[in-house]
Amino acid sequence: MSFFRRKRLFTILISLIILVGLIGFSLRDREELSSVEEFIQDTVGSFQNVLFRPVYYVRDIVGNIDEMKQVYEENQQLKENLSTYQQKLYEVQELTKENEALQAVLDKTETITDYRPIQATVIARSPEQWFNQVTINRGKQHGVEKDMAVITASGMIGKIQSSAQFTSTVLLLNGFDRSNRISVNIDLPETESDAKGFILGYDDTREQLLLEFTDSYEDIALETTVFSSGLGGVFPKGLEIGSIEEVTTDQYGLTQIAYVKLSADIEELNHVIVVDRLLTSIDEIEESGDE
Amino acid sequence: MSRLFPPLILFILIILQGINFLFIPSSFEASGFIVTIHGVFVFLIMIALYYDEETSYYSFLYAIISGLVLDIVYSPVIGVYMFSYAVVMYVVHHLRKVLHVNFYVSSFVFFLSMILVDVMIYWIYKLIGVTELNFQDYFEQRLLMTLAINYIVFLIQLVLFKRLLVRYSFERFEQK
Repeated sequence: MSFFRRKRLFTILISLIILVGLIGFSLRDREELSSVEEFIQDTVGSFQNVLFRPVYYVRDIVGNIDEMKQVYEENQQLKENLSTYQQKLYEVQELTKENEALQAVLDKTETITDYRPIQATVIARSPEQWFNQVTINRGKQHGVEKDMAVITASGMIGKIQSSAQFTSTVLLLNGFDRSNRISVNIDLPETESDAKGFILGYDDTREQLLLEFTDSYEDIALETTVFSSGLGGVFPKGLEIGSIEEVTTDQYGLTQIAYVKLSADIEELNHVIVVDRLLTSIDEIEESGDE
Repeated sequence: MSRLFPPLILFILIILQGINFLFIPSSFEASGFIVTIHGVFVFLIMIALYYDEETSYYSFLYAIISGLVLDIVYSPVIGVYMFSYAVVMYVVHHLRKVLHVNFYVSSFVFFLSMILVDVMIYWIYKLIGVTELNFQDYFEQRLLMTLAINYIVFLIQLVLFKRLLVRYSFERFEQK
């Protein structure tokens, strides 16, 4: 212990070197967590998993009681919606059958729409909100890999940033920057093809996603839903991301951009689904080619 | 128990750090304040004030270890918490030598170290490009409310742990 006292300058220098080294080590574009990190993350994660069950249980009950106040109004609304859904359901069933039949004709069994869902529960959230990340209770042992999309029932919320053996970290959509773009499709009512674009990042002040179109489109209606296109190679096609709030041009007036409001509520997360795309991505094809 | 108590509580606090967002009222977020609860760091201050002797550096040692664990579990960048916790605990340890500990002095130490640690973390994150928030926005949106909320945490921990820490410190260092 007296070491810290005597060699003060020495210690400060050493600690600065350690700081820079560690930051450099972790900022590097890593594929895997080191085993030490995995071990610590899993240990803390398993305790959280057990200890927080009652906490979340109580929170859910309180939330349920809150919701009960609006049950009557919601019920009326839902009844109205229900009648229109019957018609839609029939249409969808017919379309699915037709689609399957057509795909069978083409001898095409896997598409970029298919995915295997992995159910998970959020067990912790990063305490300091510099990083928008949450921890879930599923890891490599359950098939969760880096870069998989994470969704809730109402839409996409983020992607897997890193996975340990029994827990994984999810980077939420409001933490996305230019290094993790999502390729998206926007439905155009007039033409047959969809508008294409990229999610560039998150606008903190507006609390909306920033979308850049690859082309210039004239007839983009507000509140149109934005879906993932599956062309980025990581996410499956057809995951709902949000709806368009405003269409403008960027600061130089060269490209068309839009602000997208998220469909899912990323502040209130509880049960999420990790999306494992069935069609192999380009990386995986390359990997199997190497072997 | 006198040896085990501080690391045990620290471990529990590290785990609890993951559900801290449940303790922050959602009206804060709506009005644009972002609060970080530094439960672990508050307990480290408690250790420095009430447990450590002048010649023992347990608060410093625990700061390094718990900072590292926090880094690994809750953020993608390793080393930031470890470094800032360790440096600030070192300062606190030296402050303690010149100050006579009572409630007002410990409040003063708390505010000083909390400002130091939060600004330091912000500054490192800004340096490596994690955030682009300028200092004034940071000060208004984050620092002020963080100080207020953490002071409440400090008072709660003072009530819960102060007596225990003083007793265990006595058992640990004086009775030999």
